[in-house]
Amino acid sequence: MTAPRIEACGLTRLFSGGAGVRGVDFDVIAGEIHALVGLNGAGKTTLMRLLLGMLRPTSGAVRIDGRPLRTADWSTVGHLVETPLAYGELDGRANLMLAARLHGADANRAARMVDDVLTELNLAQYAAVRARRMSLGNRQRLGLAAALQHHPRVVVLDEPTNALDPAGVILLREALVRRAADGAGVLVSSHHLDEVARVAHRITVINAGRVIGTLDPRGVDIERSFFALVHADDTHRDRSPL
Amino acid sequence: MNLSMLATAVAVEGRKAAASRVLTSTAVLLTVGVAALAAATTAAADGGDGQLAAKLGPLAAAGGWPAVLNVATQVTAAAGLLAFGVGLSWMFGREFTEGTITGLFGLPVTRPALAAAKLVVFLLWAAATATALTVAVALAGTAVTRQAPQPADWAGLGRLLALAVMTAALAVPAAWAATLGRGLLPAIATIVALMAVTQIIVVVGAGGGWFPPAAPALWALSPTTVGAAELLFAAVFPAAFSVLTLHAWHRLQLDR
Repeated sequence: MTAPRIEACGLTRLFSGGAGVRGVDFDVIAGEIHALVGLNGAGKTTLMRLLLGMLRPTSGAVRIDGRPLRTADWSTVGHLVETPLAYGELDGRANLMLAARLHGADANRAARMVDDVLTELNLAQYAAVRARRMSLGNRQRLGLAAALQHHPRVVVLDEPTNALDPAGVILLREALVRRAADGAGVLVSSHHLDEVARVAHRITVINAGRVIGTLDPRGVDIERSFFALVHADDTHRDRSPL
Repeated sequence: MNLSMLATAVAVEGRKAAASRVLTSTAVLLTVGVAALAAATTAAADGGDGQLAAKLGPLAAAGGWPAVLNVATQVTAAAGLLAFGVGLSWMFGREFTEGTITGLFGLPVTRPALAAAKLVVFLLWAAATATALTVAVALAGTAVTRQAPQPADWAGLGRLLALAVMTAALAVPAAWAATLGRGLLPAIATIVALMAVTQIIVVVGAGGGWFPPAAPALWALSPTTVGAAELLFAAVFPAAFSVLTLHAWHRLQLDR
């Protein structure tokens, strides 16, 4: 059996008002793209924050490549949650160099990584452009490059296609397929079944902070299946005593 | 946190600081502002402006180098705290207001290392700014008095340099406030409150030397009125807030 790159057991973290995640068991296997889909506010970002140590769970635990978060090898993790790691006063290349250094690369290796990812994500023309002058989509692409350039074994991307144009979506999809083929475990979230969710090996549906089922990525009408799952869960909760 | 990790973090934070217009413009404004005010008020007092001389007090009203140094020291104590506080507030607060803080999680370079690097880079920037400020005051003083500094004036310039560095260190609570408040405004509010309380304590004259934010300025203006113990106590103040800031970055959660 393939070892999980990410493993979460019984993860719970609730906020005032009832939002959050409740008792989530979840994993991402090496070599797979795992899509997490749910409506806005379903708990996708909270779950990703818990997986990356941005939030501490009230119960449950996370392991990255078999190790608890406290001792995880973070140089093998790449992520983009909500905001790209891009500083407006720095140009594309400088931003990527900083991200590479922060992921443990020395200056020489970082320079090579940056050259490669600029080509891979078609960002070369923005290498000398300050991030504050880039469009939203190009800033997102820069953030994705920062998350992927060190070829991490664990990739976590929250709504990665936000603001991307169709060409950007295809470049991202191909980059993720390459990372997974090299053995990375890739987790992407989406609030709709977009192009990235469609290249997933597994699709997990989250609703109201709980994992409520899975979808077959090769299914003929996965949108219909998705809404059927969510509707059934909402109906079940409405009928259940609090 | 090991030395290699800290060196990487300092290199990253140094690159960000070097490209920052906020830090550059703040340093220029403080340097030029202090030198210009010291020169202009001294020139006015030397020119017989009685009203201004009365406002400046007996030392500044005497004109010459004592006036230049007295005005520069007073302005540096107040405006320096604000300027260095703004710089530090921006260095820490921007990560929250711009949302880049999420990218500083899940890295082999730990958050305490990044926070420590920000403080190191801040102190380097502050030291460079303090040096530029002292040189600018020396040049402005020479121009307005038409005299080279005498040994007592060099000593005053030395105290001005030390005061500027110590004032920068006294702004460290801004880093803690930016972290707890998740942004720039709580940090700047903290600096403004610190300035206000310091002014009140100094004006009331209630043993200002024992209030850390007041001690360096009182010492720079009149070295015999503040003892070594009081200056040492003032040094503990930024050290304590540095530890609090590193702890806050270690325990940080994105739960708001």
